[in-house]
This record gives sequence, structure tokens and C-alpha cells, in this order.
Amino acid sequence: MTQPIDTSIYAAVTAAIQGEAKRILSEGQVTAIVGYAAARRKGSAQPIVISQPDDAQKLIFTPACVNNLAVYLTKAKKEIPKTGKIGIVVKGCDLKALAGLMGESQLKRENLYLIGVPCAGVLGSTIQPDTELTSDSIAPKCTECNERMPPECDFVPAVQVPVNQGLEKKYAAEIARLEALTPQERWAYWKEQFSKCIKCYACRQVCPFCFCEQCLCDRNKPQMVETTPRPAGNFAWHIVRAMHLAGRCAGCAECERVCPMDIPLNLLNRKMAKELKELFEHEAGFEVQEKGPLNSFTDKDDQSFIK
Amino acid sequence: MQNYISQQNFNALLDSLISQGKRVVAPRTNAGTVLYEPLANAADMVIDQLPRRSGKEAFFPLCEDIMTYQKEGQKIELQDIDPTRFLETVLVGVRPCDAAAIPVLDAVFSWDYKDEFFLERRKKTTIIGLACTQADDACFCTAVGLTPADPKGADLFLTPLEGGGYACETQSEKGEALVANNKELFAEPNGYKPLPLAEPQTGKFDLKKVKAWLDEHFEDPAWDSIATRCVGCGACAFVCPACHCFDIVDEGTEKQGKRRKNWDACGFWKFTHHASGHNPRDQQPKRYRNRIMHKFKYYDDKFGQTLCTGCGRCIRLCPVGIDIADILQDIDKIEVKVKVEENS
Ligand code: SF4
Ligand code: SF4
Ligand code: SF4
Ligand code: SF4
Repeated sequence: MTQPIDTSIYAAVTAAIQGEAKRILSEGQVTAIVGYAAARRKGSAQPIVISQPDDAQKLIFTPACVNNLAVYLTKAKKEIPKTGKIGIVVKGCDLKALAGLMGESQLKRENLYLIGVPCAGVLGSTIQPDTELTSDSIAPKCTECNERMPPECDFVPAVQVPVNQGLEKKYAAEIARLEALTPQERWAYWKEQFSKCIKCYACRQVCPFCFCEQCLCDRNKPQMVETTPRPAGNFAWHIVRAMHLAGRCAGCAECERVCPMDIPLNLLNRKMAKELKELFEHEAGFEVQEKGPLNSFTDKDDQSFIK
Repeated sequence: MQNYISQQNFNALLDSLISQGKRVVAPRTNAGTVLYEPLANAADMVIDQLPRRSGKEAFFPLCEDIMTYQKEGQKIELQDIDPTRFLETVLVGVRPCDAAAIPVLDAVFSWDYKDEFFLERRKKTTIIGLACTQADDACFCTAVGLTPADPKGADLFLTPLEGGGYACETQSEKGEALVANNKELFAEPNGYKPLPLAEPQTGKFDLKKVKAWLDEHFEDPAWDSIATRCVGCGACAFVCPACHCFDIVDEGTEKQGKRRKNWDACGFWKFTHHASGHNPRDQQPKRYRNRIMHKFKYYDDKFGQTLCTGCGRCIRLCPVGIDIADILQDIDKIEVKVKVEENS
């Protein structure tokens, strides 16, 4: 049954973000703020970078504020100047990406001013942004989220976040369904999904962790994997993506949201996260960790495969 | 010539074409996403949604082999692909914004180099267009000189009627042949009322004014404010019915392989990356500028046409909400301002 989601706090959240943004820009505490602004289409929102106190009134927070803005702070986004301290509007799920980037020495906490968002959830798709937030239209990640109040930010609007209303955990349910299939059936499922991939790399371009100077899949001297959107090249891309994000992806699910072909990419990320938790007791979260399980070795690691 | 066809007879027409060995490409669901794909049964057709990707791929596929090679010792064998083997195709349920893009693409694919793959498929394809009865606030066909009932590009054009079925109007010899060969399925159009047409909810802009501004503003701070947030993917170009850039790659082993033609996108950093390492479009706003310039200036300069049909796909699917209709409306306004200043 479709349940409505209460987003009445967003008006107060918007007002508080605007006030804080104006204050820190006028006091010169930050040089710029990355946030969300309303856009032309009804109900839509878009990322915006502001540097003038008067522009603070453009900032909003609504169910259409889906982007993980952390991507703009990475070295892959050369267009956003990284001078001085930068303010950024973050949801709990986005903050985990920032923690990951700090762990990988991509960002320094002291160069950021974190404006945390008390969050009741966002839309799973913004193809039609003028959509009411319900248990059906909410992003699957939000059905499993327990971090609606981002911790250790420089500023968080003082509002009471509604508790997660016991929504069905969409990824857990789907992973359980896929795990129950035979390997042949699972292969068929992913083969069908990947057959739709057009190699637009939107999934990679929005990912805060895809900051490689040159992606392996873009190499052509020599070519490392097939670049063509055909079965072999598509599988290669999706395996590279899943493996390189294992233990790093904290689940903002931007890849899945932006995929124009509706490929459920975050299912792979969640499954990898589940495996890493079982194998290495590792979880990507708010804590800044220097080394993930796939780029470190400890004598506690399972060595039973060495025969 | 105008005719009537019921939904049932329309499906019968498609099924009969399929049984004759024709490739019938129409919107259908593939793993949850509506795409133009070959049908096995007319019943699989999903006619009430704009497919996620455009109709161009019936002529210009996402990926195609253009040559194969084989090497044994010193012997190298190259083999061309034979386009005459392409199947006779009927492309069905094509919305005005998709159908109109196809004649626009003819210009570039038959310009100095005749693209035999595109042109052969074009020759062998009959296009059945369909008027739109639904639009959203990303649609803007009416702002680029089309309408939700524009038959441009279609060989046979269908208008949905109240109570089901379609009024069909032939637009070319191909369309006439299709009707003549299946006369028994069509009837007189008496007494039917078309469903109300879609009303795109996007404001208009003047394409001439937009072009006049683009002519003078290759360098302009507006490009930064428009596209600093662009993340440089291929989503906008790949879903666009009019974008047509491609990349040629050789894939295979040293012994055998294929030369392939794949869609490319000006949003990618690699698009203009030179072998020397230099990239003239070194930042995202310069890449996005090319998207707008190519559509509303260069293509017009070269072929007198606009490379956008207002389908709105790039607006709906841009990960960061870059809205081409909004940009064009803003440019339209800037020009007005310039004029006022000049007059005062
Ligand atoms: S996952 Fe949590 S923090 Fe992130 S958008 Fe959903 S509810 Fe908000
Ligand atoms: S966004 Fe989707 S279609 Fe594009 S490369 Fe990623 S998986 Fe493929
Ligand atoms: S530029 Fe955008 S709106 Fe215009 S035809 Fe291409 S996808 Fe459609
Ligand atoms: S405009 Fe949007 S869809 Fe196009 S390349 Fe930029 S981010 Fe991708």
C-alpha cells in the first residue's frame, strides 16, 4: 500500500540553510557553497554553486534534491575552484561519501564547512520531478536509511526528523530474491539488465569515488577493456565498476538514479557491501578510514584460499 | 490520402509484416525500460509512452560492425560489411519529435561522405508516425517549429481517435504502398473524432534570435554559469534523436577482429582529446557549449536546419538538471536586452 511521506520539515530546513549560507558567506568563512536551487520544471531542483551572500536565498531543500554534491569537490571536477574553505549541503548518505574521500586523502575536513540536512528522504527518480514523495516514489536507499540526521556537521538545522516509518527495505528484499536464484538465473537477470547499457557513463560521472585521472575503461593506448556497448564490453565495465567501488561505495545510489536505462546498479554495490561486511567486518560509514579492506592486508584476513 | 484503421487491424498489419520476414521495430519493454526494438508480436508494443531512447537507432545503431579483419602469418584479409543484407524494416509508433529528426540527419549522412550504412537502412525503412496526446513540461516541439501532430519524416502518419483506432494519412510513396498492399485492413475515415492533442508546457523562444546570439558569443561568461555543473557524461547525446557523433574503434585480437562504429558524445572529455595530450575543450562548459552551438548554429550554418526537435529527453535525463529549453529561453531574453540597450 502506498504511504505518504511527511516532508513538512523541508520548509524549515530550507529557511535554516539560507540563513546559515548567508551568514558564512558574508562573514567570509567560506569562499563558495555548493547546494541546491529550484529549476524551471515544476518541482525540480538542480545543483548550484554560490559565492555571493545575496544568492543564499536561492538555496532550497526538497524531495527533488537528489544529487550527491560531493562529486563537485573531487579533483575530477576541475571546473569548481577548490580555493579556501568551501561550504556544502549534505544529506547523511552524501556525508558518507565525503568521509570516504577524506580517508582517501582527496579532501581535508578543515577545508569544508558542512551544512547537514535533517532528511525525510528524496525521490528515486527525477524524470518527472513534480512527484509526491510516497513509499513508492521514495529512493530505495531511503527505505533502509538510519542516518537521517548527519553527524558532526558544522551546522544542522534544528528540526525534528521524522523517524523512518518502517518502509519495506527495497534493496534487502531484492538482494534476497536474487540470492535465492540459481547462478544461471542470476546470470540471465544481469545479462538482460546489462544489455540495455549504452556506455553513457553517467553512472561513473556522478560517482564521488570515480575520480581517477583516466578510467581504465577510457584507456585506448592500449585499450584495456572493450569500449563498445556490447555484451563483453558492458560486462567488463560493470565488473570494473563494482569491484573498484567495493568497500568504498557508501550507497548514495546516484549511479542508479541517473542511469538512463534504469539498470539497478546500486544492487551490485549493496551486495558487495554485504560481502565485505561478512568477510572483513568492514563498512563504509561516517568514520574516516584510511584503508579499505581491498587495499590492505592484515593477518586476520581469510587465507583459506591459499592451498 | 486519409484512412481509418482499428487497433486490432493495426496489430494484424504488424503481425503480417513480421510473418513476411520484415523487421518491425516499435516501442516495447526491455527489462522494465521502453525502447524501440524489433517486435516478435504486435501485442508486445507499448504505444502510449515515449521510448527512453530515440528512433535514430533504427538507422544509426548504438554500435555496428563496419569491417572485419583476419591475419594469418603474412596474410591479412579485410572484409567489408555488405549493407544490402540489411532487412526491410517498418519503424512503428514514432513520435513527431523522433520522426522529424530523421530527415534532419539525412543532411549530414549524405553530405560529403555518403554513409552507406545509414542510407541503406533509410532506403529500406518505412516510418509509421504517431501524433502525441500527452506531453510534460520537458517537451518543447512547438518551440522548435514542430507540433504534436507534425507528420515530418513519417511515411504514414497516425492520429489516435476517440474510442480507439487511428486516422492514417499517407505521406510518401512508401506509405501509400504499405496501405495499398494491405487495403483490407483500412476503412473510410467517416465520423471519427481525433483525441485532443498534447500541449507541451514549455514556453517558446525564437530560433533566429538564439542563433543571432550564438553567432556572436562563442566566448561568453554565460557558458560557465550554464554548464559548470555538467558532469560530462553521454546521457544527453545518447538519448537525443538528432545527435549523431560516432567513434571508430578496432576491437579483437592480433589475429582477428572488427572495426566498429559506436555512438560518441561531445560531453566526454575524450571527445576532443588530441594524441599530443592537448585538449582544446579542456573544461566542461566548453564541451557543453559545443552541444548548443552544433544544434542551433553550426548545423544551421551548414544545412539550414536545427539539430533539435524538442523531445525533451535530455532535460528529463540529465543527472544534474541541465535544461536546454531553459537555456534557449534565457538566450532569447538576453538578446532582447541587448536590443533594448542599443535602442536607448
Ligand atoms: S538515504 Fe537517508 S539521508 Fe540519504 S536521502 Fe535517503 S533518507 Fe535522506
Ligand atoms: S549510466 Fe547506465 S547506461 Fe550509462 S554507462 Fe552507466 S549503466 Fe550504462
Ligand atoms: S537536444 Fe534534447 S530536446 Fe533537443 S532533440 Fe536532442 S534530446 Fe531532444
Ligand atoms: S548536460 Fe547533463 S547529460 Fe549532458 S553531459 Fe552534462 S551532465 Fe551529462
